[in-house]
Amino acid sequence: MLQVYQCEDSIEGIFTAIYRIYEDRNQHRECCVRIDGELFLLAEYHQVETDPELAMKVIRTLYQRFGEEDYLTICYALVSEDGDKANAVYHAVVYGLERKAGRGHLFDNLADTYLHKVFSLARGARNESCHLKGFLRFEETRQGFLYATIGPKNNVITFLMPHFADRFPMEDFIVHDRVRGIYGVHPAGGQWYLASGQQPEEGTFLPSAAEEQYQQLFRHFCSSIAIKDRKNLHLQRNLLPLRFRNDMVEFDSR
Amino acid sequence: MEYLDRVQGMSIMEKLGILTDAAKYDVACTSSGVERKGDGRSMGNCVQAGICHSFAADGRCISLLKILLTNECIYDCKYCQNRCSNDVPRATFTPEEVCTLTLEFYRRNYIEGLFLSSGVLQSPGFTMELIYRTIWLLRNKYHFNGYIHVKGIPGADGELIRRVGFLVDRMSINLELPTAEGLRELAPNKHRKTILGPMRQIQNGIQSNEEELVVYRHAPRFVSGGQSTQMIIGATPENDYQIMQVAQGLYRKFDLKRVFYSAFVNVNEDKSLPMLPGGPPLLREHRLYQADWLLRFYGFRAEELLDERRPFFNVLLDPKEDWAVRHLEQFPVEINRASYQMLLRVPGIGVKSAQRIMAARRSTNLRFEDLKKIGVVLKRAVYFITCNGRMMYPTRLEEDYIVRNLTSEKDRIRFGSDGMSYRQMSLFDDGAFSKPIEPVERLQIAVGQL
Repeated sequence: MLQVYQCEDSIEGIFTAIYRIYEDRNQHRECCVRIDGELFLLAEYHQVETDPELAMKVIRTLYQRFGEEDYLTICYALVSEDGDKANAVYHAVVYGLERKAGRGHLFDNLADTYLHKVFSLARGARNESCHLKGFLRFEETRQGFLYATIGPKNNVITFLMPHFADRFPMEDFIVHDRVRGIYGVHPAGGQWYLASGQQPEEGTFLPSAAEEQYQQLFRHFCSSIAIKDRKNLHLQRNLLPLRFRNDMVEFDSR
Repeated sequence: MEYLDRVQGMSIMEKLGILTDAAKYDVACTSSGVERKGDGRSMGNCVQAGICHSFAADGRCISLLKILLTNECIYDCKYCQNRCSNDVPRATFTPEEVCTLTLEFYRRNYIEGLFLSSGVLQSPGFTMELIYRTIWLLRNKYHFNGYIHVKGIPGADGELIRRVGFLVDRMSINLELPTAEGLRELAPNKHRKTILGPMRQIQNGIQSNEEELVVYRHAPRFVSGGQSTQMIIGATPENDYQIMQVAQGLYRKFDLKRVFYSAFVNVNEDKSLPMLPGGPPLLREHRLYQADWLLRFYGFRAEELLDERRPFFNVLLDPKEDWAVRHLEQFPVEINRASYQMLLRVPGIGVKSAQRIMAARRSTNLRFEDLKKIGVVLKRAVYFITCNGRMMYPTRLEEDYIVRNLTSEKDRIRFGSDGMSYRQMSLFDDGAFSKPIEPVERLQIAVGQL
């Protein structure tokens, strides 16, 4: 009978579910991991409580067996918005462990349906994360810290924060994912962390006096750098999709 | 700094406008090639792949703050809008202004770093000194740790070039025009020798620095992102074959990271420059870049792509397709057995697809639907490959037939939206590969035997 493992939609939750399946020694062919609560006829359900310790064990195994690169690919796939991601990752892991795919070779066989699914989900999330590393815009607020807001399709804020923390170690900055209501906070000279739930006070993110000047300067720069004889808005739209532009100062016609 | 006195009083906005406008014809705006983590104190790091921060209305990437230090120039190059005989507004940044702009833009994540070039003020040496002073301030006073790309000014002192090299990530010296004759005609103040001289010096500097780094891991790095150059396409009568050979020579003999091609834009209407009624030669530039990739990543040589009798690239086919249809004796290629080098030569298969095919082949026998997953562009590859000895569709290995299919909208095999299935054929289809119905078949249809 089909064994359905229900877990919460987080990296830890899904890894805990994978641990539980191995613990229960079920046939892998009959198991699946779901995050969306979909119901199946003739299936046995297991509710999985997220356990960070068990998740950590799974992470260590994946890291050791498949190497950093492939482990990161799995993580990217897990932050995507796709109902089947948990199941695809589970079967990809089973495939890799059974066939003893070495470090950096988990995704060799892209002809496999599950591996390809994980791979393409990861590619989407990774691309969006790379885009946002460039397209995200900080604003200086009156209190002197930097503030940026993003609305990504995938939950990529965990991948953006290390990049910006490394880049601006002595800046206080906040990245706000307005789709999921998550704040990435980096205090100057400290460790970054994620926060959610509380709404900040009204007026916390008002721009500073100098901010407007630099935004205008950059707008001016972007319009002067374009060569009129080569104008190609189609190419521009291909490379910089419209959905990013709401948050970018150079496309703000103020 | 008496030269600055004249330029005071102009607002930073005006200066930025003038000096950006003056710098826009410089091509290189890449921030790739250097991986440098932040040091935990100063601002900035570098990412190996480079980061594009925006795209301008011409579709070109904005990665670096691309500006000139000054657009005053003592030279009179015919193609350049900053030449001394042009009456254009002139401006000069102070080093402090450049530093402030760079830092404030960088902090807001507008840019990946600075691209600093300059017109020649007083003399090449003086100009290079100003650039050096600016970059030195940026690195040592403002502790900027991001990407810096600087143009070397031909004719500047070797010691200055060396010092700048230790502060920047990439340095480039413009070749300007592909041949020495072109240079003599259009840029009378520049000489091939003064351009290639410092290029060689940077190359030697990078090489000896690499040896040094093997021994002393923390030795200062010299131009760690490598050097690049650019040339203008279409201002002088060189053909594509000559240009590719120059590029190939630069990659081989000078270890350049990149050669950039810049379609000539006629800004000066000078009598010695060609008229371009159809706008800049953008397709030609595009073909040159495609061929450039073939040289650097696909193992092609310039002589394979073009020769004396066919010195220009095909307008309709890209250079790889063009090569493939002229070498049909090497096709079709069996996906499950071909060497990596041969896979790279198949149109529709890129470096990544070829690597994935090699990896996947170890554990499975690839079929056409798997190739689609791997990222092969079947629309182009289908004429040149077999999987397990079979072609995907009955196609003919004939030059005319393949060219017609690759170029004409009407004759092409029509793929469905999934890229795998093609349009259902009807009995009287005029599609590309439906062979005419034989009289015998017509009879069979009539009596219901088919």
